[in-house]
Amino acid sequence: MTWTPETVRNEVIQILTPHVQADAALSESSHLVADLGIDSLGVMEVIADLEDKFKLHIPDEALRQVNTVADVTQAITSRLKGEGRLSE
Amino acid sequence: MSTLFKPRTVVQAIEDAAKSTQTGYRFIDEDTQAEPFFSHAGIERASARFGGALQSLGLKKGDRVALILPDNSDFVFAFLGALRAGIVPVPIYPPTGLGQLSGYLENTLHIVAKSGAKVLVTSPEIRRVLGTVQSRAPELTMVCDVDTLKAQREELRPEKISLDDTCFLQFTSGSTSRPKGVTLTHANLAANVHVIMDLGLKVQSFDKGVSWLPLYHDMGLIGFMLAPLYHVNSITFLPPLLFLKRPARWLEHMSREKGTISFGPNFAYALCVKRIKESEMVGLDLSNWRVAGCGAEPIRAENLKAFAQKFAAVGFSEKAFVSCYGMAESTLAVSFSQIGSGMQVDRVEGSALWSEGIARPVPPSQDEAERVANVVSCGRAFDDHEIAVFAETDIESVSPLPERSVGELRLRGPSVMVGYWNEPELTRETFAGGWLKTGDIGYLAGGSVYICGRSKEVIIVNGRNYYPQDMEWEASRVEGVRKGNVIAFGTMKPTHDRERVVVVLETSLVDAPARDKLKGEVRRVVQQAMGLTIDDVVPVDAGVLPKTSSGKLQRAKTRELYEAGDLLARGSIREVDTASVVKEVVKSQIGYFRHALLGGIGRKD
Repeated sequence: MTWTPETVRNEVIQILTPHVQADAALSESSHLVADLGIDSLGVMEVIADLEDKFKLHIPDEALRQVNTVADVTQAITSRLKGEGRLSE
Repeated sequence: MSTLFKPRTVVQAIEDAAKSTQTGYRFIDEDTQAEPFFSHAGIERASARFGGALQSLGLKKGDRVALILPDNSDFVFAFLGALRAGIVPVPIYPPTGLGQLSGYLENTLHIVAKSGAKVLVTSPEIRRVLGTVQSRAPELTMVCDVDTLKAQREELRPEKISLDDTCFLQFTSGSTSRPKGVTLTHANLAANVHVIMDLGLKVQSFDKGVSWLPLYHDMGLIGFMLAPLYHVNSITFLPPLLFLKRPARWLEHMSREKGTISFGPNFAYALCVKRIKESEMVGLDLSNWRVAGCGAEPIRAENLKAFAQKFAAVGFSEKAFVSCYGMAESTLAVSFSQIGSGMQVDRVEGSALWSEGIARPVPPSQDEAERVANVVSCGRAFDDHEIAVFAETDIESVSPLPERSVGELRLRGPSVMVGYWNEPELTRETFAGGWLKTGDIGYLAGGSVYICGRSKEVIIVNGRNYYPQDMEWEASRVEGVRKGNVIAFGTMKPTHDRERVVVVLETSLVDAPARDKLKGEVRRVVQQAMGLTIDDVVPVDAGVLPKTSSGKLQRAKTRELYEAGDLLARGSIREVDTASVVKEVVKSQIGYFRHALLGGIGRKD
C-alpha cells in the first residue's frame, strides 16, 4: 500500500493516542516523554506497533534520534520514501 | 569450597573452552537479520585478534581501556580481547536517551578519567556524541573506532595472567554519588562463577542460556558472558532494545533453543505479561526452562505469579523461579533461592517488622486482619561466603544480630571486591571490621536471607520503619501516576517533631482539580496498604524527577530539591534537551531500564 505524509501522520497519531496520558495535548512538537507522559517502555511499544503497521524496520541507531511526534513521523516517511511507498 | 573446585583465570577459561566447536555464542541482530554463531574455538580466535589489535595501540598489561559498545558481539570480543592481553576493560553504558545527554557526558567523563583509561573504544556514532571527552580526560590518548580494530590482523602477544591480577572495573552508578569502580580480580570471578554455576544453579553441559541483558551491567556481563566460558555452555544473546520492543522474542528464543536458563529483573516478567499477545504464544514451548532467575530490583511475588499463570499453558513451570540477591561489590551473586522450588515467601507481621525490626512469622491460618508483609527469600549464603546482619551502628561488626532481627546485611568471602578503584576513602567506608557493608536492610531466617530495603532510605515515622520502595510501588498503581516515576522519602526539619513523609510523582495531568484528586487517591492507597499517612503528595510534570545518567531515580537529590523548595521550579528534561549544545541527541538502551535493571534491591548504590 502507498502512503502519503498525511495518512502517515494520522496513523502515527492513532498509534500514539492510547499511550498518551489523560489530557496531554498531542501536537507535532510534543516530546514523547516530557509532554505526552509516555514512559520509556511505552516508547518501545509504540515503535513495535509502528513497525507492524507500516511493515518496516526502524534500526536502533535511528531510534536514538526520536524525541518528538514529528521525529516519529519523519523516521517513518523517510523509510517509506526510500522503499518507494510514499507518494507526496 | 568443594575439593573439586580449581580456580582459573577468565583467560584460562577461554583457552580451555576453545576445544569445543559445537557450543558457543549466537548473536541475534534484528537490523541485519543475521544470527552469527561463534563456537568456543571461534571466541578464542576472535578475542585473540582483538587483544592483538589493542596491543598494537601500545596498550600493555594493567592499562585500562574504556568500552562503549552497544553491539553485543563487538562488546564480547573487545572485552575478552582486552582480558587476554592483560588489559583491564572498563565497560560504560551507551548514551542515555530522551534528552539527558549532558548528565551522560559528565558521568562518562568521570568514569574515563577516574579509571585512567588510555584508550576508549566505541562506535563512530557514539564517538560523535562524545565530542570533547578526549580533551578533558588527561590520560586518554585515543578514541578508537571499533571497526578499525576489528579489521586489524595483529597476533596476540601472550601475557602471563594470574588470579590476583585485576580482571576488570565495574562502575556502579550511585543515586547519591559519582560512579565508583568496583575492582574485581580473576580470583573474584573464579570464586563467584563457581558459586553461581556449580553451587547455585548446578549447571550441566547440556544447559543453554538466552539473554537480552545489557552486557555492560554485571548480571549480563558475568552471568551470561563470562560464567558460560568456564562451563562451556551455549548462549544466545538478544539486543536489550529488541527485548524491550518485542518481549515475545525473549521467549521465542528460549523456545527455539530449548533454553534452560535465563534471567531478568522483576520488570521483565511483568512486561511479558503485559505485552505478549495470545497469538505470539502459539507454538512456544518453555518446558525446558529450569532456571528463571529474578534479581537486580525488588521482587514482587504477584508479578512472578502472573507470569507463571500466563505461560503455564506453554510449559512454563513456576518452580523454575529463582530469586537472587547480588551486587557488583560481591562480583555478582550473593545468594540464590533453592533451584527447583520456585519462589519462597516469608509471611511476617507488618507492625513488628516496621516498629520493632523483628520478622515475626504469621501463622498460615491467620487472616489478613493484621497487616502481613510478604518477604521473598533469596536463599542461603554459598560455601566459603558469609552473610550476617549487624546493627548499622556496629561499625566494627562485633555482634551479629540473631535470626529474624532486621539490620544491615554484611558480606565476607572470596567474591567480595578488593575495593573501589582509586578511592581509598570510599573503600574504607564500605567495610566494617572486614565485612562489606551492603547498605541493604534485611534479616536471616533458617539460614536464608530476606531483604526489606535500602538502609539510607528507610523512613522512620513514630518509631516505625517504612521502606520508600513499598510506598512508591503502591503509589505507582494509582491511575494517572507515571509508573516507575515516583519517589518517596522522609524529611526532617528542626522545626518538625517527626520525620515527614513526602511522595513526589510524575503525571501528565495538568489542571489543578485533577491533580488534587490524584493526590487524594495516592494518600488513600498508601494509607490502606501500609497504614501510613503521607504528609505531602507533590505531582510534577513528566521528566522533572532527577535521574542519574543511567536513568535511575535519585531519591536523595529529590529530597534536597524538595527541602530547598526548588522541586516545583524545576523544568522537565525537555528544557535540558533544548539547552544542550549537541543537537543530535543519542538515545540508548539503558534509559529504558531506569526503574528496573539498575534500581532497587540488589544493587548497591
